[in-house]
Amino acid sequence: MATATAKPEVFTRKASGLVRVMSPFSAFVYNILTMGLIFPWTYLWAPGALPGGKLVWGILLAMVIEIPIALVYVWLSTALPRSGGDYVFQSRVFGGGVAFTVVMSGYVIWILQWVALSGWLLSYLGFAPLFLGLGATTGSAAMSGLGIWFTTSTGIIITSILNAFVAALILVSGFKNYVRFQTVMIVGTLLAFLTMLVVLFTANPATSMASIDAFALKIAGAQNFVQTAIDASVAAGVELNPPFSLIATLLVAPIAWTSLQWATYSAQQNGEIKNARSFNSQLFIIVGSLIFTGVLLAILAAALEKAVGTEFLYVAGAGYWLGLDEALISGFYLWPNMIAVALAASPLIVLLIGVGYILNSHQIVHNCYIGMTRVMVAMSLDRLLPEWVSKVDEKRHTPANAHWAYFIASIPVILLYNLYPGWVGLTLGVTFACGYVFVITCLAGSLLPYRAKDVYEASPGAKYKIGNVPLVTILGAIGFVLGSVMVMMFMLYPQLGLTSTLAYIVVFGVLVFSAIWYFIVKNAQKSKGINVDYAFKEIPPE
Amino acid sequence: MKFFSKKSSKKPTRLFFATDLHGSERTFRKFINAGKFYEANVIVMGGDIQGKLLIPIIKEANGHYRATLQGRVEHLASQEELTGLTTRLDTLGFYYKVMEEDEFRALSADQKAVDVLFHEEARKKLGRWVDLAEERLNGTGIKCFVTGGNDDEWDVLSALKREGVQSLIACENEMVMVDDDHSMISVGISTPTPWKTPRETTEEELGKMIEEMAAKVPDMQKAIFNFHDPPKDSTLDTCPMLDWTKDPPTQIVQGGQAVMHGAGSSSVRAAIEKYSPMLGLHGHIHESQSVAKIGRTTCINPGSEYGEGILRGCLVNFVDGEIQGYQMTSG
Repeated sequence: MATATAKPEVFTRKASGLVRVMSPFSAFVYNILTMGLIFPWTYLWAPGALPGGKLVWGILLAMVIEIPIALVYVWLSTALPRSGGDYVFQSRVFGGGVAFTVVMSGYVIWILQWVALSGWLLSYLGFAPLFLGLGATTGSAAMSGLGIWFTTSTGIIITSILNAFVAALILVSGFKNYVRFQTVMIVGTLLAFLTMLVVLFTANPATSMASIDAFALKIAGAQNFVQTAIDASVAAGVELNPPFSLIATLLVAPIAWTSLQWATYSAQQNGEIKNARSFNSQLFIIVGSLIFTGVLLAILAAALEKAVGTEFLYVAGAGYWLGLDEALISGFYLWPNMIAVALAASPLIVLLIGVGYILNSHQIVHNCYIGMTRVMVAMSLDRLLPEWVSKVDEKRHTPANAHWAYFIASIPVILLYNLYPGWVGLTLGVTFACGYVFVITCLAGSLLPYRAKDVYEASPGAKYKIGNVPLVTILGAIGFVLGSVMVMMFMLYPQLGLTSTLAYIVVFGVLVFSAIWYFIVKNAQKSKGINVDYAFKEIPPE
Repeated sequence: MKFFSKKSSKKPTRLFFATDLHGSERTFRKFINAGKFYEANVIVMGGDIQGKLLIPIIKEANGHYRATLQGRVEHLASQEELTGLTTRLDTLGFYYKVMEEDEFRALSADQKAVDVLFHEEARKKLGRWVDLAEERLNGTGIKCFVTGGNDDEWDVLSALKREGVQSLIACENEMVMVDDDHSMISVGISTPTPWKTPRETTEEELGKMIEEMAAKVPDMQKAIFNFHDPPKDSTLDTCPMLDWTKDPPTQIVQGGQAVMHGAGSSSVRAAIEKYSPMLGLHGHIHESQSVAKIGRTTCINPGSEYGEGILRGCLVNFVDGEIQGYQMTSG
């Protein structure tokens, strides 16, 4: 039994101490931003591909499914409160081969696609609605033209590469520069999100349709846009009032997981978080941010339905999923922010929403770099990636080489995402791939009390048991099963986009490449007298 | 990464380096076993071996015990629970003493008595560690070198120098041969820290100490500088800048963010730049695990996670004054 104490009954001596930079609140906010309040797919992909699915329930279901997974990360973070996250957790329990293959493939390689997505979001959800909205509200054709340029492949590719380059430049110039900028990104994102909620909640379908018509007329010169889109959708076989479908609602969850699975991302930076060993701090950071974001996303879904009605959401979804030109405005999908911009018809609101989306889109690429360069440095120090990857700039204290390497590696993925036919269908591949990383980490958490007994027993979570079974073992098993179901859904349901031959080739190709890399490097290092397994093996103390 | 490189005909020496254990029983035991486990010929401990906290385990009137650990009061009703607590304290590197309520109160009011108790417990633990090294390493051929750091007190470190001990060499302020060809000099004192730790000196004094030690090195091409303080601005020394006027020191925040800086020693850096030894072994800044090249010198700080019972270290293979490879470990 333990109780809190007002005055600690301990004796101390003058000795140096470790100082951690990030407060639990900063880590909480960092997780919320990583979960991407602006990720739009749930709101169009789901209505388009999953008729009868309930958005709000699907989002909340994803949140509930993520809770045991998040709790496992709480246990693991307090047991191993250091940077490296999943790579550290998995290598401690399963050894280097599994950890490297899973994290290299699911994170380091697949998150390159997040860099591409960040650029796409910035261009398509940030700049395009901003300039289209300003064009519509100010009557400027040049603004509208610029907005439309941001929806073209050329516009998106140039924006994406510049987005990745600017983020690399900021991070290489010093982490403190990023952190200063993060405050701006946080405020901008939350302001945009709240503005959007207010606009949507104060609207109703009766007046919204007229506003959208007016917006489409100004932007694209389209007369009776809403009715035309409805007619085209019905003609394309879209059911505008489908009956409730349980399976469709369940399948909304994996799409919403694209956001909510990132509640655990702060674990990559545990070494920099104050009180990272504290159970309560980690609960607040990981589970707290998950619930906060899950509820906000569900509220957005409810607001969207309230503003335009479920029927119109199916029309908007048809524009995205079926590529119905009549349900697009100048080739632009009707994402939540686009609808809010159309409804508001105010330059100020357009600006608030546009800037917020731009900032959050750009922030995503920072998250990719920050998390992945840490993993790459750890892998390099373990001698599994080239030595130059872990070289840290002496003046700026940043792993500059890792940042530039990641930037360069992202360029082909940006090109593939925007130019290669069918690649956009792999958008949720990142959710799938990162999903299997989380699932394997859940298994690692489940086995921690048995595979790393001493580490576990020294952790604050060790006292929580059900009978004689450690609670983390039970939560890990639940998280593993639930997460595996989500991951398997991607492999089995074509609505989630990963059942094509291309998808199978990419998914398994990346896994096989990572495994082969590990074995080649392991043997190359062996010839120099370096046993890479030493990096992960625990020395028996007795 | 030089995955493929030329092999020397000579058998390389494999050295394992760890540092900043701060009294952690578990990590020291791992350190002693590291030679055999990693097949290393030489193991080196880079300083800060003394613990920082002493936990009084207070016996209560009802026969139960209580102790404060990480801000929480643990109430212990059985011997089994008491053993569980002391095992955790050993892992965390905290000293402990079971005492009556009266003794605790008396100690709380007498800082000098607390200091004496700290010294006693630290010397006792270090004595046990020397015994352990002797028991496990004698006859194995593994050389074990231990130096102090800025957090270690001179009189506590003297427990390392015991007559008749064969397997553990207290190497501070000495020039020792780690194998037939390669020498090592060790300096444990650091430049001033915000915590005003027991063994600190000015940059100038540290520079003089290093010069004195460097004069003893037979061949700089084959030399190892085992200096607890890392070279300034080398990436081995990155940590938040602290306000020294506060006790305990607090982070300096500018624009809402902690200011990071290199907290290493410019004297250490100057010596490395001047003499270009083969290898630099450093510690001191736990959070700054890194490897850096300063000229031809490979400088290593393996960092420390002693509180989790994890032995961070680095394996270095070298022959004829050349580093063949290195590898960070997390044992």
